[in-house]
Amino acid sequence: MPTLELNGKVYEVDEDGFLQELDKWSPEFAEAYAKLEGIEGGLTEEHWKIINYLRDYYNKFGVAPMVRKLCKDTGIDSKKLYELFPSGPAKGACKLAGLAKPTGCV
Amino acid sequence: MKKPLKPSDISKKSDCLCRIEEGELAPLPPPYEDFNQNIPTPLKAEKTGNIETSLDNTVAIGIPRPASKEEEEALIKQFLSGLQKLFEKENNWTFLQPLLLSLEHCARCQTCSEACPVFEMSGRQEIYRPIFRSEVLRRIYKKYIKPGGKLTAKFTGDIDLNWEAIARLAELSYRCTLCRRCASVCPIGVDNGLIAREIRKLFSQEMGIAPKELHDMGTIQHLKTGSSTGMTAAAAKDSVEFIQEEMKEITGYEVEIPWDVEGADILLIHNAGEILSWPENVGAFAIIFQAAGLSWTLSSETAGYDVVNYGIWYDDVQLSRVAVRHADIARRLKVKKIVIGECGHAHKALTVIADRLLTGDLNIPRESAMVTLENIVMSGKLKFDPQKNDFPVTLHDPCNVVRSMGIVEPQRRILKKLAPRFREMTPHGVDNYCCGGGSGFAIMSRYNFAEWRNLVSSRKKFLQILKAFENESPETPKYVCAPCSNCKGTIRDIIHYYRAEERSRLYYGGLVELTVNALAGMKKPIINFGDKPSWE
Repeated sequence: MPTLELNGKVYEVDEDGFLQELDKWSPEFAEAYAKLEGIEGGLTEEHWKIINYLRDYYNKFGVAPMVRKLCKDTGIDSKKLYELFPSGPAKGACKLAGLAKPTGCV
Repeated sequence: MKKPLKPSDISKKSDCLCRIEEGELAPLPPPYEDFNQNIPTPLKAEKTGNIETSLDNTVAIGIPRPASKEEEEALIKQFLSGLQKLFEKENNWTFLQPLLLSLEHCARCQTCSEACPVFEMSGRQEIYRPIFRSEVLRRIYKKYIKPGGKLTAKFTGDIDLNWEAIARLAELSYRCTLCRRCASVCPIGVDNGLIAREIRKLFSQEMGIAPKELHDMGTIQHLKTGSSTGMTAAAAKDSVEFIQEEMKEITGYEVEIPWDVEGADILLIHNAGEILSWPENVGAFAIIFQAAGLSWTLSSETAGYDVVNYGIWYDDVQLSRVAVRHADIARRLKVKKIVIGECGHAHKALTVIADRLLTGDLNIPRESAMVTLENIVMSGKLKFDPQKNDFPVTLHDPCNVVRSMGIVEPQRRILKKLAPRFREMTPHGVDNYCCGGGSGFAIMSRYNFAEWRNLVSSRKKFLQILKAFENESPETPKYVCAPCSNCKGTIRDIIHYYRAEERSRLYYGGLVELTVNALAGMKKPIINFGDKPSWE
């Protein structure tokens, strides 16, 4: 199992860097991971709005929301979403939010 | 010049049996020549660890190497036990006959190789020939399973059985999209696609070896949570409610999506990936069904809202479990028929393959959405304005729906009526080429597999799409109609990888969206090209 070291802590991740033990997530994890993901200057309020929404939705439904729903409910459009998370909503935002890698025919 | 590989080379110890070199892949036309030197990114040892990568430096399954000689021997024994079972009536009542016929009667005429897009596009790599993996299996079977095989092996084609051979064969069974174009051109009906699929089955059912996306996160998750996306019934309902609101906002049409209506005429089951990734497809079905006044429902039972059946790609037991679950939900809901949404493999799994499983009152009629839509469009009940679809359209034929099932014309009759600028790809219909994402490839993306798909197995489809639109200006938005979730996901990835939205303004979507887009009386279009509406 690959691991990822962030700020001196070691996390188990899959080949794409998705956190394997979801309960190990912390805001510090997201902050430290952001640098690796090429997000300059740390996480802003808008980043956190997305991350918190994703985590709440995932806790409630066990799956990441539709991208369109994410955009609508947070008021952040998809263009802006890609500016905030250059790897995109699934590979960028979900990864930082500590969600499992999306599965199925999506 | 590479030395041609022989089937017996599969047992030879080496880091990599076949490496695709830069410039070997079939060339792309302008403005895509800058991709011609691309190859799948070589895997780094520190990332793959003890995962077997020695077939072609690409990984679909990710099988750990045995830690000791004893472990290797145990695995070989297990493999042979599974192989034996493939040839027993009790253990392989599903596909024994076509497997035997295909193994016994191949004349090595190579007609299949010329028909295989993976072999052709890869720069004709020997290992991707449809008969290469079949010949490996045939030799192992003849030598190790047939009585006296070890004595005759010298004359019938020798092969050594070791870990390398087994692991490479497992990986090689995931370098074929099971599109079965090879089978359709074979003069004597040998089905090398089926052989690849039976190899996958051996590994899954006997050895527990299968891609994580298909098994752990696929059929297992599907049966447990209700969907291979992990979506529970609550999540599905929440998402569908959102789709209702979206439809009103996007198209101005107010739609009510019914759940769990006992005694409805139709149980519509979508691929749940549509709900999450292509919500307009789900919305468009609701609009057209409502407009046509059909009696229909969705089901919120576990797996009742996800028609996928990944078992068809690798495992008969999982295939059966999922198919019976789907039929049983329909039986208890007392519907007259199941309509299968735009999902190709589900078409074949639930209608054709499951037909031998579903006995008595489980054998509920199943219908393709292509047919349901055609009946609606041709009924005369609804008015359409084809001029709303005034943009170039081509049609992708999902292999399972078209070549494997023969549903060829309904979708074409709809397009001929509703899409004035429709043109066929060459070739098309039952001679179509796979999108490159068949048999699970669309959703497999560990290590460098997605890159292999975009570069090798999807390459032919990309060329076909470009060819279909070659007389159109690069600035004109173009619609690839792909009535299958996995084909859509694959075409989305092709467009993204080759930056074809910027360069050729390629867009894609399903058949029902085009239908609703031409429905008269709609306030706004359901199809948009980027942020531009398709009509105003």
